[in-house]
Amino acid sequence: MDRCKTTLAVLLLAAGTANAQTLDELKADGQLTDALKTDNVLTYGMGYHLQRYSPLNQINRNTIKRLVPVWNLSLDNNWGEQAQPLVYNGVMYVTNARHTVAIDVGTGKQIWKHTLDWPADTPRVVCCGVSNKGAALYNGRVYRTTLDAHVLALDAQTGKELWKTKVAEWTEGVSLTLAPLIANGVLIIGNSGAEYGVRGFIDGYDPETGKQLWRRYTIPARGEKGNETWPQNNNAWETGGGSAWITGSYDAALDLIYWGTGNPAPWASQSRAGDNLYTSSLLAMRPKTGEIVWHYQFTPNDAYDYDACWELILAELKVAGKPRKVVMQLNRNGFLYVLDRTNGQLISAKPYEKVNWATHIDMKTGRPVETDIAKSIREMKATEHWPSTRGGKNWQHAAFNPNTGLLYANTLHEGRMYKHLETKPFEKGQRYMFIENLPLPRAAGEPIGHIEAIDPLTAEKKWRVPLTDFQIWSAMLASGELLFTGKETGEFIALDAATGKQLWQFQTGSGINAMPITYTYKGRQYVTVLSGIGGLYWNINREALKDRVPVGGSVWTFALLPE
Amino acid sequence: MLAWSSALAQAPTPQQIQRGADIYERNCSPCHGARMQDPQGAFDLRKFPHGERERFITSVARGKNQMPAWGGMLKREDIEALWAYVVSDESVHGH
Repeated sequence: MDRCKTTLAVLLLAAGTANAQTLDELKADGQLTDALKTDNVLTYGMGYHLQRYSPLNQINRNTIKRLVPVWNLSLDNNWGEQAQPLVYNGVMYVTNARHTVAIDVGTGKQIWKHTLDWPADTPRVVCCGVSNKGAALYNGRVYRTTLDAHVLALDAQTGKELWKTKVAEWTEGVSLTLAPLIANGVLIIGNSGAEYGVRGFIDGYDPETGKQLWRRYTIPARGEKGNETWPQNNNAWETGGGSAWITGSYDAALDLIYWGTGNPAPWASQSRAGDNLYTSSLLAMRPKTGEIVWHYQFTPNDAYDYDACWELILAELKVAGKPRKVVMQLNRNGFLYVLDRTNGQLISAKPYEKVNWATHIDMKTGRPVETDIAKSIREMKATEHWPSTRGGKNWQHAAFNPNTGLLYANTLHEGRMYKHLETKPFEKGQRYMFIENLPLPRAAGEPIGHIEAIDPLTAEKKWRVPLTDFQIWSAMLASGELLFTGKETGEFIALDAATGKQLWQFQTGSGINAMPITYTYKGRQYVTVLSGIGGLYWNINREALKDRVPVGGSVWTFALLPE
Repeated sequence: MLAWSSALAQAPTPQQIQRGADIYERNCSPCHGARMQDPQGAFDLRKFPHGERERFITSVARGKNQMPAWGGMLKREDIEALWAYVVSDESVHGH
């Protein structure tokens, strides 16, 4: 009997281990210094550092011609696919706004599917596309957020819902689309909704129970440090935006998460004089408590929708001959920032795109020096504005190769005729922007964006491939000698990372707005990307592409055809 | 019913058009474009047939294609004001 018990205990332990993602495994994900575990992709960003880089090189310049699809699985979803899949022990986990799906990596067959049922009018409070960016894995569970502002846990083996916690009331303008982050045992999420005048927040939850452990509003309340940067004669801070809608990075050694915050609300700035902390900022926070250890504001009193939510990439860079632990961001405002991530000290801030609202960043104060263009916008005049409110780069994530020290990004080259309108009283759950934003005539042949390799400290381009048809809304993946990204017209492409030359492409069934991953399975390198036009595309290119690119989400997985 | 029919027959008032303009500016312009210009990915409302009032009201209330349903937030008279604005000269030429 005792022997039976012992055997059972061992079996249970083994089963538990096979389905558990420990904190150590999460920390090791994508870390080149540890024993490289390339079978798994456990974190959004392919590592807590968000480098979206893998040293895997079976698929390389010479072999790429043999890269072929090995399976495709429909995701039964027409809203669009923006997620990065995760992989653990031969099982892939994929999310979109409707479903969470577990897939056998070896066969491409669906293991389980969990479906959400949010109210049909929820998209009313989603400014920029019904989407979901991915899951988090921890301790045998799959965690995700929902459009109608819930966070939930599923059993990774069965897809059974274990808990579901209401984060906020969606009718008040809050939605959730980001992939959660597990840092130091805490499940961390941030909200969307600045376009509806919500007060942004970052939350910590107990992954075991779904109980909220802390909430850090990105706008301090009256009496809290930072609130003095808001008018004291109105309540603009209560409806001041500052969403936190892209997953942050995490330095486990420093035990700091790095989270970007969104634009203030409304976009028109007349009613919110002051710097408006902590909007359009970077927050370095303790994952256990939500304490803000340091902050840096990229765009004080942001009048331009210059979210600072984009990926905050962690790396070690040589600065003036000395290695520094840095955090980097290609900010929406057109500047590429490098900061010391131990203390928030600004190391570098150089323009990487055409910028006319500021001349430069003052390295002593860390503040942008605004031009007459900025003055004109604040005076509510229609003004030619670069980069446009969509930014020098939008959310399509950059990759970083620690061997070349370069960032690889899909950037935007767009100015617009931008005007602040008179603001009107806040109405709960309704848009809170008050701007006009019209296109500028574009010279023939002028690119609308670039795929480029950028030096983080100088913002110099090592190479730059102009785009003339549609901007790229898919993230970049650096893998060995190659870069993978995808187009709205459906092509999944691979470029030579040294030159930008396109080496390979495959036409998927819909458009690509998602994040590729690469990993190994039984010793063979795989690449996976989701295809499924949607997201911001609905706002921008739907009319232009509706007869060319059908909707319909699916997972495409590629490997090398044996020689 | 009689009252409803006679309301239909009446031309929209300037107040109704202004109410529609305010709703449009706040909730519709982010996708359909400022003053219906630059609709980008959304339906170009400048092309909406002026004879199809009920279709407009139903589409806004219940949602259509990628447009969410607004009936939970906007009352019938709000959507009628929106219609008054969309078919007025004010919408494209500014207000």
